[in-house]
Amino acid sequence: MIKAILYKEWIKTRYLFLLLAIILVAFTAYCQLRIGKVVSLRGAAHLWEILLTRDHTFHETMRYVPLFSGILLALFQFVPEMQQKRLKLCLHLPLPQSRIMGTMLGFGVNLLMALFVATYLIIGLYLYHVLAPELISRILLTMLPWFVAGFAGYAFVAFTVLEPTWRRRLLNVLAGVAFIRIFYLSSYAEAYNQVIVWLLIITLALVGFSFLSVSRFKDGVQ
Amino acid sequence: MNPIITCTNLTHHYGKRLIYENLNFSVPEGRILGLLGKNGTGKTTTINILNGYLRPSSGECTIFGENIRHINPITKQRIALLIEGHVQYSFMNIEQIERFYASFYPKWRKEAYYELMELLKVAPRQRIANMSCGQRSQVALGLIMAQNADLLILDDFSLGLDPGYRRLFIEYLREYAKSERKTVFLTSHIIQDMEKLIDDCIILDYGKILIQQSVSELMNRFKKYTFKINDARSSLPANDEFYNPAVYRGNGELFSFQSTEYVERYLGKHSIEYSQLKTEELNLEDIFIGLTGKY
Repeated sequence: MIKAILYKEWIKTRYLFLLLAIILVAFTAYCQLRIGKVVSLRGAAHLWEILLTRDHTFHETMRYVPLFSGILLALFQFVPEMQQKRLKLCLHLPLPQSRIMGTMLGFGVNLLMALFVATYLIIGLYLYHVLAPELISRILLTMLPWFVAGFAGYAFVAFTVLEPTWRRRLLNVLAGVAFIRIFYLSSYAEAYNQVIVWLLIITLALVGFSFLSVSRFKDGVQ
Repeated sequence: MNPIITCTNLTHHYGKRLIYENLNFSVPEGRILGLLGKNGTGKTTTINILNGYLRPSSGECTIFGENIRHINPITKQRIALLIEGHVQYSFMNIEQIERFYASFYPKWRKEAYYELMELLKVAPRQRIANMSCGQRSQVALGLIMAQNADLLILDDFSLGLDPGYRRLFIEYLREYAKSERKTVFLTSHIIQDMEKLIDDCIILDYGKILIQQSVSELMNRFKKYTFKINDARSSLPANDEFYNPAVYRGNGELFSFQSTEYVERYLGKHSIEYSQLKTEELNLEDIFIGLTGKY
């Protein structure tokens, strides 16, 4: 039964998954090309100097890509469920409500995780050939808040789309914008190192807010 | 017969607006019961409450003896649901949707589904979203047949169906329900075909149940009386036994479960001079209008 729910989620999101994979690969390739260009024109030493002395990681172009990915994924997953109140079909399935929603949200989080981890691996493997481990870690840690923001975007859009009333949806959007803003407050390299673990824990906990929306939907709140 | 659905003292409001108060009804096993009513009388509200999508203001409903707010997933396997407008996962195609639902229901009958799908003139991989309303309803019906549930709950199944397909749907459904001894609880606001389908009916008026009885009994007992009134200015005094009595240009009409003799006594008692008293047998749609009024 869980496999069937995953199958349904996959049907809704498979083309988007492909699109997001292409977008992430394209942006990643663009960033690596920029790094490659600096190395070929000015040498690796110049690249190291920039990374150490300026708050520039050559990956700034990717800043909003994970967030955009998370938002799109949640829209593709949950808008079809709310059109014509199709969520009723899901909630009528002979499984506990928490398991149905847990599986749907877990699918989304894991799909994002797969995309983001693959992106990180591609970046890490490329940089391994041109940079010292400390500098690779500096780049990856600088980018980490943007990827956590992707999960936050997913959590808040799911929370908002599954909410049955427009007034509350607006409040959810405002709360989401305020929370996601935190991830983009600083553009300094490694600015979030001290708090990123906490932000990640809070973000994953926020995914659970969708259960609240579903519960309100089930109570027939209008 | 065991009641499959029981609702006790069901009351619901949307905000301050009362939909109904202290509704009591039950659906016996193996019967097809139609919940009929004008728009806004609470048909879909009742379906939503029964399926746990709406918390009633007060009262309690049980299905197979379990409170609908805490129904066991095993019990849910015995309940098939058709949502208003034949809503299904329109992003899937015929094959995908069958594969999706099959794993949830142990008594799943793939052949029943594909038997119905053969009637559709669509490619197996055509998305449901690209089908006509009739085709979509056939997919929804096919899924319900395949689920092989003991209780079928169908919300406004006739919505959007053309007359020919509506008739086919009804014949197919009745034959299936009777041969497999299924219990069916359904709503519709198109009454004309219902007498061919349902065994019992509940007619809802604003805020209450107007009547609950078998269709055959209702059609045998409920009559329309028409007569000419000599004094065109006369009106018909109120009587609890009569529904929607009216006089228009000297033509009187009323609806009642009472006999012709009762009507004659009533007219005589109130000194209403009349002639040409006629009794008309009614179909279910006329009965519905007779009970609820035209407006």
